[in-house]
Amino acid sequence: MPDITPDTLNLTPDVLIIGGGPAGMSVAIECARAGLVVTLVEQRPRLGGAIFRQPVNGVAPLALAAGPERLKARLFKDFAAQVARIHCVYGALFAGLDADGLAIVEDRQTSRVLPFRPRALVLATGAVEAVLPRPGWTLPGVTTAGGLQVLMKETGRAPQGRVVLAGSGPLLLALAAQLIRLGRPPLAVLEAGDPIRRPGASLALLAHPSLVSEAASYLATIALARVPWHRGAQFERIDPCDQALIVTWRDHKGHLASLAADHVSLHDGLAPNNFGLPAEARGGVKSSAGNPLVIRVGDCREALGAAAAVAGGEATGRNLAAHLLTGGEVIAAEATLARHRSAQHHIARAFAPRRGQELATQLPDDTVICRCEGRTLADLKKLVAESPGLSARELKLNGRFAMGACQGRFCASNAARLLGELSHSADQVPVSALTGQRWPLRPVSIAALAAAVADAPQPGSSTKDDKDIR
Amino acid sequence: MTVIVAGAGIVGSACAYFLGQAGAQVHLLDASAPAAEASGAADGAVSVASKRPGPLMTAALSGIALYRELEESGPLSGLFHRRSTFIVAASEDEQKVLETHATALADAGVVITAIAGDDIPRRFPALSRAASLIIEVQGEGHAIGYQVVHRLIAASGATVHRSTPVTRLVPDRSGTRLAGVETPAGFLGADAVVLATGNGSSALLGLADVLTPRKGQLLITERDPALNAAMPGSIMSGRYLLSKGSQKTASAAPAPAGPARGFGLVIDPLRTGQFLIGGTREDHGNKQETDLSAVSRILADAVALVPDLARLRLLRSFAGARAAVRDGLPLVGRLPGLSNAVVATGFEGDGICLGPVMGRAVARLLLDKEPGLDLAPFAPNRFQSSGDAA
Ligand SMILES: Cc1cc2nc3c(=O)[nH]c(=O)nc-3n(C[C@H](O)[C@H](O)[C@H](O)COP(=O)(O)OP(=O)(O)OC[C@H]3O[C@@H](n4cnc5c(N)ncnc54)[C@H](O)[C@@H]3O)c2cc1C
Ligand SMILES: Cc1cc2nc3c(=O)[nH]c(=O)nc-3n(C[C@H](O)[C@H](O)[C@H](O)COP(=O)(O)OP(=O)(O)OC[C@H]3O[C@@H](n4cnc5c(N)ncnc54)[C@H](O)[C@@H]3O)c2cc1C
Repeated sequence: MPDITPDTLNLTPDVLIIGGGPAGMSVAIECARAGLVVTLVEQRPRLGGAIFRQPVNGVAPLALAAGPERLKARLFKDFAAQVARIHCVYGALFAGLDADGLAIVEDRQTSRVLPFRPRALVLATGAVEAVLPRPGWTLPGVTTAGGLQVLMKETGRAPQGRVVLAGSGPLLLALAAQLIRLGRPPLAVLEAGDPIRRPGASLALLAHPSLVSEAASYLATIALARVPWHRGAQFERIDPCDQALIVTWRDHKGHLASLAADHVSLHDGLAPNNFGLPAEARGGVKSSAGNPLVIRVGDCREALGAAAAVAGGEATGRNLAAHLLTGGEVIAAEATLARHRSAQHHIARAFAPRRGQELATQLPDDTVICRCEGRTLADLKKLVAESPGLSARELKLNGRFAMGACQGRFCASNAARLLGELSHSADQVPVSALTGQRWPLRPVSIAALAAAVADAPQPGSSTKDDKDIR
Repeated sequence: MTVIVAGAGIVGSACAYFLGQAGAQVHLLDASAPAAEASGAADGAVSVASKRPGPLMTAALSGIALYRELEESGPLSGLFHRRSTFIVAASEDEQKVLETHATALADAGVVITAIAGDDIPRRFPALSRAASLIIEVQGEGHAIGYQVVHRLIAASGATVHRSTPVTRLVPDRSGTRLAGVETPAGFLGADAVVLATGNGSSALLGLADVLTPRKGQLLITERDPALNAAMPGSIMSGRYLLSKGSQKTASAAPAPAGPARGFGLVIDPLRTGQFLIGGTREDHGNKQETDLSAVSRILADAVALVPDLARLRLLRSFAGARAAVRDGLPLVGRLPGLSNAVVATGFEGDGICLGPVMGRAVARLLLDKEPGLDLAPFAPNRFQSSGDAA
């Protein structure tokens, strides 16, 4: 892959893309083909995103199922053909859009803050895992399934010791299959839903043969390795015991069961990674401050999977290029996405937890909700009881939920859900009420920020009067 | 007695608390939610360090005294963090202004200590070597606005109405009293009405020429308990006095692009181990958003004074709007011509310090008691002669 770290950097590209997954890569390919000046910022050292993540040097990539493997080959080939026209900045983090319309990027390689002023800002930051709070989920040895997968994809190795995968969704199966292929089958997969007992939803998926064959390949691998897939498992808790973790759940008949493991990886589905991201502004809306057009693509717009990320990215990229070159509206690639949306809908139905999921009544009061600040369900309940009608912002300020260093990535959606449950409100509490839309959306080096201001391009700067830095 | 308090910022919450203590039944109405505006977006210096002798300093001194009392006697226990403010001079110009300012503080009865030479690194190890003089202002403290609001409301017994803006004041037939207020949920009647609506008061009372929002940007760092421990209190850059005070000695800093805005520098070590760093004074632009240009400048100034801050990361930036009155003094007192309606707004950058004492003064006014504070300089009708409808 192109490992270009440019020694000069154009701070006013036509298009600034955040995220080098399938969606961001697809937009970059289309915009570069159309002749636009494109910069792509990726926080990790390689392209590929959550699904096609590249291993670090010298490690063979993990094998994917056949469908994703074909998609990957095409994407990387197309990208390679345009690579000379795409500036890639790796190890750099988008930190948000400021009041003046600057797209702020922290380049952690050079310890600099790069203030971009693109014509269009494309957000392709992918999805995040939803992970529900559970007793013991903050113990050492407990990770998210995605975290484990990133580790495996980047190092080509599975962790030492016994692994239990728990939660819900097809990603658990994909991960189990990957562990098996690396010669370290998990002890078990605990699945809250029961896709086999929801034949309606599962049958509807037959209309999406590529998904079915992908799922079938995972299931075959798992069956062959005799890894138990416990469906309808209601997770109870994780307890520390000597050097190990005891995982306890109720099986579909309601009987308690447990297993000793060294690692527990949790996963409860995917949600758009839009924490603190600026809102979309399509159709050439420009504020007086000269704010860029803001567009979201791929899983950060709607978590529909890799094929949808590519299809949506390509359509949006072509659209955006036409808009920037000749005017015209930038429309969402709705038609392309409808099919993927229906597939995801059926998957979600198939994996719907067997038991109703009232978190507030299911979890013991001492369950930690906010990991950064150590705030528990009891803390949350007390606040809500003291102040009927409590707003999400008050919950945040006075309960310190979503106030910690992770800026709400772990707890905001759970806290919002619990607030909704406890205040018996019919309306969902929007997660953004807890996370806000302010920069920095990740902690940024003060030294780099303090040195940043001289570099900022003024509104109205164009690609013509390039301002090169470094 | 039933009282409507409009505005659940620190002033409205304090007023509700003191009215509740006196047995009144209080309806606390807020256009959005408690501490949604300035009180939830402030640095919480409870301080006279930057003040000149005058009515505001007098009020602020009673404000600090009341915080101590409320911290000791209950409702604010644990929420008022006592510490000194250290005003730091790092140039000859700053030192000159600081010396004059220190004399004025001392004359007003504020307890100060001058720290110079080798005592600087001893008392304040985190400080840059450029610091040539520190004035320690003792007996001050810090309180976090939204925590105070939350605590006072909980202790007040008031009924809180969120998302309930007052849209109109409704006079009774005599025209000399208010019957109540209009809200989107309908009319709400009361024996008395308090308007503690911050910047929202402009629209309600037609004060657009008198009261303007003045934005401030603030920053929060990640935690660093060791550095935090190396700072015995908050620091205020002496440069702030320079720009606030005698303009002649102000060094000509390069004018920033766009509308002018003021920069002060305050670095407050929070009890969480984090640092709160501010800030700006701006009369233009979006009041909620922060910009790289300001953040970068504030942090550059902060690192110049406390070099080790450079190794931390910025966790959050946010902005709030102070309600600023044309002559720099708040508006507190009965609404002209209405015997049962009181306004309390315009506390600009001092409302956290003044909130409890002003809330108490207003409550006492309604209860026909001595307010405990000379409110004459803050009379809301002082702009009337110039044709403003206060
Ligand atoms: C943990 C996880 C595991 C998954 N595993 C599978 C799987 O095994 N099989 C499968 O079919 N699907 C999987 N998916 C779903 C699949 O990854 C997505 O559908 C697909 O990758 C979406 O593509 P995308 O381009 O929208 O986002 P992504 O592929 O997620 O790409 C987003 C990119 O943006 C970067 N980024 C995010 N925030 C910033 C920032 N602030 N600054 C700079 N860069 C940033 C990320 O590093 C990432 O490279 C997984 C998703 C997740 C979250
Ligand atoms: C950046 C910044 C830093 C600051 N630092 C300090 C400091 O260090 N020390 C200090 O003492 N002070 C400081 N202040 C000032 C202090 O925050 C304010 O003076 C104080 O919070 C004002 O309180 P308030 O109750 O009058 O107004 P607000 O807190 O603004 O409350 C007004 C309330 O009224 C509501 N409202 C408005 N209109 C209506 C309506 N029509 N009907 C019903 N409700 C309505 C609003 O929603 C709001 O909740 C700072 C302010 C800012 C912005």
